[in-house]
Amino acid sequence: MPDVRRTNPGPDPESGDRRPGEHPPGDRPPGEHPPGDRPRGDWPDGGPDAEDGAVAGTGFGGSMDLATNEGRTLEDDPGPDGGGPSGRPRSLWSDAWRDLRRNPVFLVSALLILFLALIAMWPSLLTSGDPLDCDLALAQEGSRPGHPFGFNGQGCDVYTRTVYGARTSVTVGVCATLGVALLGGVLGALAGFFGGLWDALLSRLTDVFFAIPVVLGGLVLLSVVTSNSVWPVIGFMVLLGWPQISRISRGSVITAKQHDYVQAARALGASGPRMLLRHIAPNAIAPVIVVATIALGTYIALEATLSYLGVGLKPPTVSWGIDISSASPYIRNAPHMLLWPAGALAVTVLAFIMLGDAVRDALDPKLR
Amino acid sequence: MATMAPVPGTDTTTEPLLEVEGLVKHYPLTQGILFRKQTGAVKAVDGVDFVLGRGETLGIVGESGCGKSTVARMLVNLERPTAGAIRYKGEDVTRLSGRALKAVRRNIQMVFQDPYTSLNPRMTVGDIVGEPFDIHPEAAPRGDRRRRVQGLLEVVGLNPEHLNRYPHQFSGGQRQRIGIARGLALRPEIIVADEPVSALDVSVQAQVVNLLERLQDEFGLAYVFIAHDLSVVRHISDRVGVMYLGRIVETGTDAQIYGHPTHPYTQALLSAVPVPDPAARDRRERIILTGDVPSPADIPSGCRFRTRCWKARQRCVDEVPLLAVPEAFRGEGGPAAHPSACHFAEEKRVVPADAAEARP
Amino acid sequence: MLLEVRDLRVEFATRDGVAQAVNGVDYTVDAGETLAVLGESGSGKSVTAQAIMGILDVPPGRITGGEILFKGRDLLKLKEEQRRSVRGAEMAMIFQDALSSLNPVLTVGDQLGEMFVVHRGMSRKDARAKAVELMDRVRIPAAGQRVRDYPHQFSGGMRQRIMIAMALALEPDLIIADEPTTALDVTVQAQVMDLLAELQREYDMGLILITHDLGVVADVADRIAVMYAGRIVETAPVHDLYKAPAHPYTRGLLDSIPRLDHKGRELYAIKGLPPSLTAIPPGCPFHPRCPMAQDVCRTDVPPLYAVDRGPVSGPGRGSACHFWLDCLEDSACRGPASDTP
Repeated sequence: MPDVRRTNPGPDPESGDRRPGEHPPGDRPPGEHPPGDRPRGDWPDGGPDAEDGAVAGTGFGGSMDLATNEGRTLEDDPGPDGGGPSGRPRSLWSDAWRDLRRNPVFLVSALLILFLALIAMWPSLLTSGDPLDCDLALAQEGSRPGHPFGFNGQGCDVYTRTVYGARTSVTVGVCATLGVALLGGVLGALAGFFGGLWDALLSRLTDVFFAIPVVLGGLVLLSVVTSNSVWPVIGFMVLLGWPQISRISRGSVITAKQHDYVQAARALGASGPRMLLRHIAPNAIAPVIVVATIALGTYIALEATLSYLGVGLKPPTVSWGIDISSASPYIRNAPHMLLWPAGALAVTVLAFIMLGDAVRDALDPKLR
Repeated sequence: MATMAPVPGTDTTTEPLLEVEGLVKHYPLTQGILFRKQTGAVKAVDGVDFVLGRGETLGIVGESGCGKSTVARMLVNLERPTAGAIRYKGEDVTRLSGRALKAVRRNIQMVFQDPYTSLNPRMTVGDIVGEPFDIHPEAAPRGDRRRRVQGLLEVVGLNPEHLNRYPHQFSGGQRQRIGIARGLALRPEIIVADEPVSALDVSVQAQVVNLLERLQDEFGLAYVFIAHDLSVVRHISDRVGVMYLGRIVETGTDAQIYGHPTHPYTQALLSAVPVPDPAARDRRERIILTGDVPSPADIPSGCRFRTRCWKARQRCVDEVPLLAVPEAFRGEGGPAAHPSACHFAEEKRVVPADAAEARP
Repeated sequence: MLLEVRDLRVEFATRDGVAQAVNGVDYTVDAGETLAVLGESGSGKSVTAQAIMGILDVPPGRITGGEILFKGRDLLKLKEEQRRSVRGAEMAMIFQDALSSLNPVLTVGDQLGEMFVVHRGMSRKDARAKAVELMDRVRIPAAGQRVRDYPHQFSGGMRQRIMIAMALALEPDLIIADEPTTALDVTVQAQVMDLLAELQREYDMGLILITHDLGVVADVADRIAVMYAGRIVETAPVHDLYKAPAHPYTRGLLDSIPRLDHKGRELYAIKGLPPSLTAIPPGCPFHPRCPMAQDVCRTDVPPLYAVDRGPVSGPGRGSACHFWLDCLEDSACRGPASDTP
């Protein structure tokens, strides 16, 4: 049998009878060769020089066969945190945080959200009025000293109501979004990752939930609830909202799962949770963030719709949604009643979308 | 089926590092929504045997769809074989699970084809190369990891200072080096390389091939080198197996396969490779095969190459040729006497001979 | 002269600044001739072809200078409408990825026939007959039945044949093939290249073959233009170039490919990486990687010198190296083997 085999003595004497999982204490790690040990050509001894700055990419054909972005960063100086051996090791999250702190979009949106949280918690910081202190004689009046936003149809101060409305609206928006993103994101990711029966079951379940009309579902489900707190409303939104996120999350996990780096981790013996958390999740989260932040506005508006239908929050509660819907009949003679709460809603939604965008970009090292 | 286990007396000094026997991977084809009924199978790998010695390079060549990548994935346990055994130092890896499997995995590592998708774009190079230590914490003490990772980067010819960079900041060749560093981290004995240079530019390809050869000498690695580029495989391999439709059809040393091929498929494959020498343009005889590779879900009876073979006769339809030294060459012991799965094996020189022999 | 490209320059606006993809390329193609344009990714070989075809993405691309003379007319001065009538009818292109170049929801017969309906005003029925004829031409078995099949029902090699049939449909004078066989297996690659060469002879077309594969070039080309960083660094008849390259880059490329016919010891590897097109080094763009670079190479851009002296010199040879004669005479322009990037 012409089975010619070469026994390779090799310069590494230990490799001879190494057993799996066991390394003699004196075993030399592969990286520890004295620099003079092998021909090293003229590898740059310091930072990037002309040679390692000159980079072009691979990828055949196409007019953008330039792959210029590849060369870019190698040309740049590593910067103050250049990560020489003395620098601390960095990770995606620490890099993302460093990036965010310098991003004006993030700073503006974060400040806005902080401000909203503040007035949601302590509305009395901004106004001394009472949102329920109304005087029908002032109904639909415009702005006047002490009442910059004017009065609504019931003669309540629009400014005070807008400030007080933040609590309900922001709570509903944020909690519903978080709930939907967590539930949908996790279920979708698990379905996408494990596939098979899990996936089939979940997909059919999402189909069922997709088939429930929001308004009708709200009328049926919320009509049995007697409590006038925001939680049933939030619960209802999570119940109907998660399938949307779960589909997106499932899709992007399936895409990420097929990449070779996940296979590479598996070949190394990585566990399921490790592959999911470290390799798949960071690469699959972007679309979830985008859709969830856009949905936030929808939830605030949905709360208004439900309230208008009489199944959401009942009138003594103050919320932007309630004010917007109660102002809509008067849009022609008293537009300010609609504009102020609607403006507050728009700014809130914008702030969260900007935040989501900034976070998504920060988590993408290619955009740095 | 002929195995390639060492014949007593030829090589008794070392036991083979890796022994693959009757390796089969069938992917079932199913029909029906509720009750899945198997209607057939894609026979991606259909009975592959080979051995790999210490520090040796086995090249596996074949066209796309011949099952060579599936073999690679089974070797590193990314796929479970349908049948057959993969013995690492005598122990059947396919039966292992849990801790024992993890221990074996340390010793068989893989280098992937595509340097653009095989590195997680959201991890730093330090995290990518250091990940093996996270998964196998016993391989390196915590405090030592960073130094080890830097050492690995240096070994593969990258700047160890670039620890905190992300993969997209490197070119294709450099990324492939990162992938190689990750494969080396656990000091494996076997590296399975699936088309490691085919996505790279010519000038960079040579750098990576040289690196792989240097690492082999330095660390006594054994390679299973899988590629479709016959020239690269010849350059790096000690022995070569030619795969067609899920089976090895011919195997031998590089000189035997390239200089003295006896299987018609090997001959056609070799003759089709363009040689960078315009003077050879008219001298060379090209065997142009007709048709395409049959579907692995519907493999021809008898010899699987017969549908494209110019020598096919009735015997090829009826009888599966075994991978063994063909009878005609059995007595000689010359370079043509190597296993070839053909009923009508004949030696035919298809690679220009002058260079093969003239140069040392 | 069928096609003459003079001092063509193309730029791309990218996020990182202006990428100079093509920096003064000159080449000519005669009827019945095969010019191979050889280069690595980012060398500008495909961009040049796209500029000739008029299918460059503008923006981000921009042609900043030069002329493309096709049968005496400067294509860059034509109106888009006239340009369109040239495209397809007088020059055609074959792409690397046949699957994505064909429309998956139309039968191949419809796609082939489309050419005749649009350009020649034929009826659907006649166009279908023409399509079958073309498929026969490129030797697709049972063309009469397969004309009703969809692209995904064909194998990779067959799809590339369909692409060739499409390019040939209107009997153009020039065909540009951009990596036509890169995605194919070797045995199929040989079939397709043979077919292409044969059809070229039959129709007496000019062929520009864009590739990175030195083997394919040696098999089919008449002349070669080697591109690097958007410039032509060497041009020569195919036999001369392989016998004695006159540019260190060409020499390096030839030495760095593993050979089928012998097992070399260690491959020569050109050190370093191709330059980023947004920051092409001054002087000779190859100097940071060149084993024989001198001071002059760092400052002066070498013109394409005529290689008229030395061992394998002759008309039609050019090299953009200040020291082309040294390179031609001995192998001083290759360095030691290494794997350093």
